[in-house]
Amino acid sequence: MAGKEKKGNAFTNNPIVKAIGTQKIVVVLVIIVLALFFSIKSPAFRQYATLVSIFDYSYYISFMAIGVTFCLITGGVDLSIGTGMICYGLFGGYLITHKGMPVVVGLLATIVLGLLIGLLNAVLVAVMDLPPFIATLGAMMITRGLGSVLTGSMSITWPPASADQGWFRSIFKMNVGGRMLPVGFLLVLILVFLMSIFLNKSRPGRYIIAIGSNKEATRLSGVNVVKYQGLAYVISGLFAGLAGIAYASTFQAIAPGTGAGLELDAIAGAIIGGTSMTGGVGTISGTLLGVFVMSLLKTGLPYIGLQANWQQIITGLILILAIFIDVLKNKKTA
Amino acid sequence: MGEVILTMKGIDKSFPGVHALDHVDLEVRKGEVHALMGENGAGKSTLMKVLTGIYSKDSGTITYEGKEVEFTNPREAQAAGIVIVHQELNMMNHLTVAQNIFIGREMMSGKLINDSKMNEEAKKLFRQLNIDIDPTEKMGNLTVGKQQMCEIAKAISHEAKVIVFDEPSAALTEAEIDELFKIIRDLRDKQLGIVYISHRMDEIKVITDRVTVMRDGGYVGTLITKDSTKDDIINMMVGRVIYEDPKTESTVAPDAPVVLKVEHLNAGKMVQDVSFELHKGEILGFSGLMGAGRTETARALFGADPKESGEIYVNGKKVDIKSPMDAVKCGIGYLSEDRKRYGIVVAKSVAENSTMASLENFMSGIFINKKKEAKIAQEYVESLKTKTPGVDQLVVNLSGGNQQKVVIAKWLVRNCDILIFDEPTRGIDVGAKSEIYHLMNELVAEGKSIIMISSEMTEILRMSDRIVVMCEGKKTGEIDISEATQENIMHAATLRN
Amino acid sequence: MENFKNSPLVKKIGFNRIVLCGVLLLMYIIFAIVSPTFLSYSRILSALNYAYFLGFLALGVTFVIATGGIDFSIGPVMFCAALMGGRLLVKDGVPVIVALLACLLVGFVFGVINGYLVAYMGLPSFISSMALMMLAKGVGSVFTQTQSISWPQGTDPNGLGWFRNLIKMKVGGVDIPTGLIWLLIVAVICAIILNNTKIGRYILCLGSNKEAVRLSGVNVKKWEMIAFIISGTLAGMAAIAYVSAYTTVTPSGGDIFNNDAIASCVMGGTSMSGGLASIGGSIIGVMIISLLQEGILAMGFQKDYQYIITGIIVLLAVFADVRSRRRKN
Repeated sequence: MAGKEKKGNAFTNNPIVKAIGTQKIVVVLVIIVLALFFSIKSPAFRQYATLVSIFDYSYYISFMAIGVTFCLITGGVDLSIGTGMICYGLFGGYLITHKGMPVVVGLLATIVLGLLIGLLNAVLVAVMDLPPFIATLGAMMITRGLGSVLTGSMSITWPPASADQGWFRSIFKMNVGGRMLPVGFLLVLILVFLMSIFLNKSRPGRYIIAIGSNKEATRLSGVNVVKYQGLAYVISGLFAGLAGIAYASTFQAIAPGTGAGLELDAIAGAIIGGTSMTGGVGTISGTLLGVFVMSLLKTGLPYIGLQANWQQIITGLILILAIFIDVLKNKKTA
Repeated sequence: MGEVILTMKGIDKSFPGVHALDHVDLEVRKGEVHALMGENGAGKSTLMKVLTGIYSKDSGTITYEGKEVEFTNPREAQAAGIVIVHQELNMMNHLTVAQNIFIGREMMSGKLINDSKMNEEAKKLFRQLNIDIDPTEKMGNLTVGKQQMCEIAKAISHEAKVIVFDEPSAALTEAEIDELFKIIRDLRDKQLGIVYISHRMDEIKVITDRVTVMRDGGYVGTLITKDSTKDDIINMMVGRVIYEDPKTESTVAPDAPVVLKVEHLNAGKMVQDVSFELHKGEILGFSGLMGAGRTETARALFGADPKESGEIYVNGKKVDIKSPMDAVKCGIGYLSEDRKRYGIVVAKSVAENSTMASLENFMSGIFINKKKEAKIAQEYVESLKTKTPGVDQLVVNLSGGNQQKVVIAKWLVRNCDILIFDEPTRGIDVGAKSEIYHLMNELVAEGKSIIMISSEMTEILRMSDRIVVMCEGKKTGEIDISEATQENIMHAATLRN
Repeated sequence: MENFKNSPLVKKIGFNRIVLCGVLLLMYIIFAIVSPTFLSYSRILSALNYAYFLGFLALGVTFVIATGGIDFSIGPVMFCAALMGGRLLVKDGVPVIVALLACLLVGFVFGVINGYLVAYMGLPSFISSMALMMLAKGVGSVFTQTQSISWPQGTDPNGLGWFRNLIKMKVGGVDIPTGLIWLLIVAVICAIILNNTKIGRYILCLGSNKEAVRLSGVNVKKWEMIAFIISGTLAGMAAIAYVSAYTTVTPSGGDIFNNDAIASCVMGGTSMSGGLASIGGSIIGVMIISLLQEGILAMGFQKDYQYIITGIIVLLAVFADVRSRRRKN
């Protein structure tokens, strides 16, 4: 701790670089390099449809990642978001397609179920003081089973865009004059903006950062740490619910029993974007950038002949690399 | 000096087995800097914890601004205007300076936090204190000195009337201390009451108006600083009657070989150019006040923390100690000051702990020979008189003194010839203490050599053959036991150079 | 009750383990009442098929949990090993024994990587093992071009199916659950490693207080890594048990078994905070989980209920562990 103040090099001390953050600039460069790489390697990649597909993947990952960023900032994690997202989407879709409920009810049910599981995690972690990774692992198993149980183990397809009830799909992809516009990106941007303000400019956000930085000192400052630590998990659940909607809106069918592993795309995205596993550090905008690295890879790798299995390998490697960089950064400051 | 703002009278506090505060008095006036002095364990921190409601007192009264008060937690004390600037800073490194200062009472405009207003207010505070800190800088990027300034600013923003500084200068550089003193004088001129806890004699003379000295949980007296000399204060601090006979002469043979030689050891701020020699059969006392760098020296020597430079010779041979593994191979054993964290595995048995450092000697092929293990553990239970129902008892169920004996057994089973005892009797009751002393004497009689770090003056004078005194990471004295007195040790321990 | 708890025999076996055995028995009785087919020998054999591979996974992860870590890669590593070994056998035509050894080797290699990442590079084990889970899934399916692999049946005309006798042998028309012997032998070896060797001693001690062990001059990184290697290698062994029971392996799966294995351990009294582990407890836990999944199938429920129940079991067991530790402090 003791010692001189940290000095960066000319690049990191540049005021613009400082304002944006070195890591984010590097991530933007990575995105550009990746996009160029795929474009050069595969002519088919240079299509408008590819772009739309990148966005399609980015929606549900973004939502999960925004939510889990809050958990990571408190120094915890939420492993239930992947299976949770599928579970909530199944439940909402089931109400619409099998119970004949209006789409709005389905959408709300998706979000509410997410909130409830988020609340469960909040109680387990903040009130009962279980280690976050194991508490949310429990929730992961529960949501994995729950999704199938609620729908009788059937795949659920939300109404297609052509159907009367398919309007919700245009939240994410709108058909304007025969062209699919990725309007969902606007929604993502709005949410990123709102949640950035929430994180940096509201009391709950401030306390979530403070808890991740030094929980005991925050408690001694008179902050209700149980409440705000729990809030992070509720937010994560809420956004997993939103992710469920995004997933249901951009893809055809939702299969029960899937979703495990998708949380890692979100966690990796957040960490690539500069959020630290040890808490106290993280930005929503960084998370969004990180998510684009992931969705670019998901879309781009097949174009250079690397199918889903390679994506898993690469996700694993990226995760290890991102965490290792995080560990190194922490060592430096310690 | 103005009128009295805070009076603590007859404060008494006991913990199980310890009479921590014995009718202590303290009076603070507006516009004074009042030093609270005493050796480690004299009860200064306990007294301040009683003041701010972390501990409740058993008896006595606290009068603040003319009214009797009793706070039940630090937040109440803070709200009333009594704030402690802690030695260990309670900061959130990832938040900015202003965000830290106003945590829990952020300035809002509507539903949103108004950071620019908080920055403005923080700037105002800093201007008031004449310090130059950017309120938008992340706390973790500041030096410890600057972080402390921020704590002071935070205290002032709480409209504190009494500020307690708990060893504020321990981690500061010379320049930072000057700056700190300037601030403290400012605050004094603004008619705040300031309690200044420190070990450093020179500082006390420079900055304080009055000194209250505590010793062994009791109140010794209060002096006007400018009318008293350094020796007056030292005499008050150490003036206890020593019941046990201090050693008068070294028991080490004059031609005893050097078993350990440390030259120019450097490891961070707390270990600067430390050199010393340890002879066979010697108990080398390491004295000094809290934060003198004794434990850090021991840990660097033992390889527990990385060292920057320095040479270590064991039995005349230069050795390269990079990790505890290397140190143990060289026959060095270390008893940590924090037994529970660094010494023993409490959830395991006496036998398992005893053989922790030398398991390879208790193997039959690939299996642990538990019979042999139990036998040696039993031997040491008997020779060290460890009180335990059996060697398969979990260490967590033993008393502090007996846990310490298990750690000693661990190193004796390993057959270490050089033992570093870091505060070997801390938290141990009187009976067990003298047993540990007896044991140490037996060990050196057998030809082992001991480095004993101790904050207890009586222990140093009773056990050591020679005494190394440290202050702020540097060796400030080396005194043979025949010449050692409480006064000359304390003198060296407060020597800032 | 106190008398019972304090009797020497109960103390030796462990009160928790006796309760667990009671639970196991009770579950069996309930399932038998609800679904009469449950009493049939084939049901028991079927439950055991699940217990074998799960047992090896649980035994391995017990060592990692004992260090205070976690390993989420074991299930996918098991599948990856089974896929790679299977491909060597089916597509490349290596002898069965080589394929089986390949399974162990794959598990071992993953264990080494995981151990290195955690012990030497300082990554948190839960996230590094999740990354490894992705790697294992990906490598397995790349190796088989995303196709399922079927190991030879017992009736294989070329006699390649002999390995299936490892878990079930027909002697005079009766199926003998040889896998049980195999599992118990490995469990005994694990118990000996955990309780009677340096490896186990240091693993348990460093799980309890890593710094004190390091300051005793012990190479804690090495022993921590070994725990992950044991876990990986046993996941390789689990692969052999899996293919012996079910022959067909699909790529990209296996992660659900992590949860079953971890649930078995924590139920059996292995503490998530490290330092406390019970091989016997893990085995009883495995039996309970296996019986549970068989029972759920027998009662006509979908397997999904099992996920929910396992999730709740994990939460309850960990909560009980956290609480008992807090009471001690």
